[in-house]
Amino acid sequence: MPTAYPLPTNLSPATVANTASLIRIVALALISGAAIASRLFAVINFESIIHEFDPWFNYRATRVLASKGFYEFWNWFDPTAWYPLGRVVGGTLYPGLMATSGVIYNLLHAINLPVDIRNICVLLAPGFSALTAWATYMFTKEMKDASAGLLAAAFIGIVPGYISRSVAGSYDNEAIAIFLLMITFYCWIKALKQGSALFGTVAAVFYFYMVAAWGGYAFITNMIPLHALVLILMGRFSSRLYVAYSSWYAIGTLASMQVPFVGFQPVKTSEHMAALGVFGLLQIVAFAQLVRSHVSSHQFQKLLATGVISIGILGAMAFVLLTYKGWIAPWTGRFYSLWDTGYAKKYIPIIASVSEHQPTAWPSFFMDLQFLVFLFPAGVILCFRELRDEHLFVIIYAVVASYFAGVMVRLMLTLTPVVCVASAVALSTLLDTFVDPTEPEVVDDTRSESGASTISAPGTNGAAPSPTTPATTSKKAKKAAAAAAEHPTTLSDILASSSTKTAKPKGIYGLDTRIMVVLNTICMLAFFVSHCTWVTSSAYSSPSVVLASSNPDGSQHIIDDFREAYYWLRQNTPEDAVVMSWWDYGYQIAGMADRPTLVDNNTWNNTHIATVGKAMSSSEEVAYPILRKHDVSYILVIFGGLIGYSGDDINKFLWMVRIAQGVWPDEVQEPSFFTPQGEYKVDDNASPAMRNSLMYKMSYYRFVDLFGGAQAMDRVRQQQVPKVGPTLDYLDEAFTSENWIVRIYEVKKEDSLGRDLKSANAFAQGKKRKRSKPTTRRRAIL
Amino acid sequence: MRYSKSLLALLYLPICLIAAQDPHQQLVELAKAGNGVIKLDSKTFDLLTSPKRTWEFEPSWNAVGEAWATVPKEHRDNHFFATLDFDNGQTTFQKLGLQSAPVVYVYPAAQGPLVPASGKVSPLKYDFSNGFDAGPLAESLSKHTPIPIPYRDPINWARYFTIATGVLGLLVTLRFISPIIQSRWTWALVTVAVSLVMTSGYMFTRIRGSPFIGNDGNWVAAGFQNQFGQEVSVVAGIYGLLTMSFLMLVMVVPYQTSPARQRLQIYLWSGVFVIVYSVLVSLFRVKNRGAS
Repeated sequence: MPTAYPLPTNLSPATVANTASLIRIVALALISGAAIASRLFAVINFESIIHEFDPWFNYRATRVLASKGFYEFWNWFDPTAWYPLGRVVGGTLYPGLMATSGVIYNLLHAINLPVDIRNICVLLAPGFSALTAWATYMFTKEMKDASAGLLAAAFIGIVPGYISRSVAGSYDNEAIAIFLLMITFYCWIKALKQGSALFGTVAAVFYFYMVAAWGGYAFITNMIPLHALVLILMGRFSSRLYVAYSSWYAIGTLASMQVPFVGFQPVKTSEHMAALGVFGLLQIVAFAQLVRSHVSSHQFQKLLATGVISIGILGAMAFVLLTYKGWIAPWTGRFYSLWDTGYAKKYIPIIASVSEHQPTAWPSFFMDLQFLVFLFPAGVILCFRELRDEHLFVIIYAVVASYFAGVMVRLMLTLTPVVCVASAVALSTLLDTFVDPTEPEVVDDTRSESGASTISAPGTNGAAPSPTTPATTSKKAKKAAAAAAEHPTTLSDILASSSTKTAKPKGIYGLDTRIMVVLNTICMLAFFVSHCTWVTSSAYSSPSVVLASSNPDGSQHIIDDFREAYYWLRQNTPEDAVVMSWWDYGYQIAGMADRPTLVDNNTWNNTHIATVGKAMSSSEEVAYPILRKHDVSYILVIFGGLIGYSGDDINKFLWMVRIAQGVWPDEVQEPSFFTPQGEYKVDDNASPAMRNSLMYKMSYYRFVDLFGGAQAMDRVRQQQVPKVGPTLDYLDEAFTSENWIVRIYEVKKEDSLGRDLKSANAFAQGKKRKRSKPTTRRRAIL
Repeated sequence: MRYSKSLLALLYLPICLIAAQDPHQQLVELAKAGNGVIKLDSKTFDLLTSPKRTWEFEPSWNAVGEAWATVPKEHRDNHFFATLDFDNGQTTFQKLGLQSAPVVYVYPAAQGPLVPASGKVSPLKYDFSNGFDAGPLAESLSKHTPIPIPYRDPINWARYFTIATGVLGLLVTLRFISPIIQSRWTWALVTVAVSLVMTSGYMFTRIRGSPFIGNDGNWVAAGFQNQFGQEVSVVAGIYGLLTMSFLMLVMVVPYQTSPARQRLQIYLWSGVFVIVYSVLVSLFRVKNRGAS
């Protein structure tokens, strides 16, 4: 057996196996360490703090769970959210995340490690990313082998597409969901391969955990049935499939119905009907298979086939009828908008307004996946080459997830695991091919083609023996392989037995090409690592509660306006003072300032949000009764015009207008907020509706004064603000943070003399009331 | 009579292409005469650029008006559709300060039982952001009429016919192309093509309606979260080339029986891979200026 480079001959197979397994364990440990470490940029650059918006609610709920226990948490009614409606928290959330942190918290306290609940919440996502790496390793091992598994684990450990949702402090449902996704898929594949009811049950248990943890569980609910359906259509039905699917579906569905937020949805909504339909189809197919194995008559088999098909059609029609009659709820808007992409913008502006629901441009794909984005199609092709049952899963997953990721930035998260798995299969095949030391023997078909290559061939490969006829070569190789398989004694024997499995001679000649390709691969991987590090540290580690900018000398400058303002609210306002803000900041106000809010990020009540939108987009006179009726004491707006913070309320303002217009089309109209030329302006050309709106007034109130007579400039919209700023009659400026990012206004109480606040203000400023026309006109009494 | 008390006038201003000669027909003839290019003089320029050039809106408006004519008389007579052509009502145009056409105003009842609940009686302007189709127009006007306008999109028979013939044709050809459909490599090609096109931002251009190239002829859109249609094809092509050269190294090269030819292929495909990857990275840096 010729080899490209010398191999040690005195190693026993046991030593080789043991060393390989040790290396695997060490590699997995290192990958876990890298996965955790790369997610700690956020803690190192900033501090141990909860990020963004939704995590603040999760953190608040977890604190309730940790301090008051599970029972209290389960029955928690929060009167401060959605004032005055309140929110039944226990029944309207996915409790998996909080329960996980609660268990860890209690476990650590049971062994006398008094860890703060905040630190558990902050570090939960990095911890689970290590578990994700392990689950991906197991999953990929089923697809190819352990070396591909290690590559996949390394990829998912550091790929930015997953890091973006799991840095330290990003305490969101996705933090544990991707681990659950991968482990469920692994158990499903394992169950399918072995026909094991045990693994089917384990898959169902993890599926239950997933349902309890993330709304994206519907992805699993549809992926597994789709896989099963494709297997049936390809004629790959087997009793293994039947056992695996039935055990997963029956137990998983019953378990998922125990989550209060899910309830009876698995039998009532369209999202879950595919799983039920495939379950029914499997029963029919299994029954037909059983009967066919017992009868022999050809006619009877035909009858049976007709019967099965008609039962299937009847079942499908029953679904259609049930949906039509309304017993099965149609697709909910969120899911429907994945198929009909124009739907959300037209009918559910709240969903369309969320930035992570926007479609994905290609630079985002490349930023999040880098070279994996073009490696994974190669992996998919390699899956087609073998096309075992589990490879079909990867293929379907790749197509479905790449479509979803294109429609919504947020779903990049579901694409990332399959990209890592498929690219790992591809890259590991490349390395297998080029690292494998066996050289194929030069087949003598060149003699007839050209004499030159026959002469050069032995010259370039010193190890290659003199040409022999193909027939004897293969015979010899077979003999050697058979002998080696019986008594594998050396490393080269193991290699020989594995490489002669294929009929065609295959392999790489020479050493230079091997070194070149392997070096090339190492360079690519190194570039990938540096890219991931750069993206993670620069783009995905900002808590967004604390902003960073750099001083002229390059040092980091922390902008801490949000916490400054929330802390002011906490310290200076009565505990029951209702704060109105746009819904984005609801969870943060509840979490950091501990004050009641009108609307928050759990956008369940469109009308309530539209009410806030209407108040923000109307004039003071119109907004004041709304504010008073909702007991609003303070209004909080985000304004970035001074330091150029682009995520401020003026930039979100059009969505407030749109959502308000959806409920009150007569009173709020989007076109009136544009200039006659159709531009969105805040300068002198701004439309009257814009300049009179509460949002505009609150944002630019006293902004001009800052510039001391010079032209005031809005640095986000790059427009010059009018010289004369807006005036406020019904509100008082209460607090403005250091960089003007957060501005808080107090709503004035009604005038004690019964005047309207505008005239009271005018009186206080010493203005005379105009007497040019009578103020009240007598109405004719009918 | 009830309707005399509550008069709802729906005033529709401009267009009406009922001139002596249909201007569209006129333009078609002119274009024919000039081999596809219209030679303009001062008169035909006015014709082409007059505020009447909203060719496509009038049918929608008439369709909605006709739909309203079918509702029961008691409701029908409480709400009216009307049009005003610029030629006949220049003073009205000036009074309302209108610069462009078409414009749709809804004048709610100012007195009587049909005054809107909000009490607003000032005219409302219809927002054309949903396009000039009859469906959205009827839907939004229905908010102001006593009963919803019973407008239904006309059935697009041509479309159903095309679909039906397509399905039939597919079934007929299925027998002949079944070996292609049953080949795993057909499916592999389709799968990979879909993945590549999707990861090149095709859905972004579909949903946002991005142009194929920019106004200034530049095919790379400025900004990280933005792209033009041509970028989809270029990026998908780059990805496809990279995938293919990678697959060559894995699936074709090892089966070569001649060492020299194999070596040549390995160097060739590795070279292609490195060069195209470099092009991709530099393209990414154009999009993301701060890239590493």
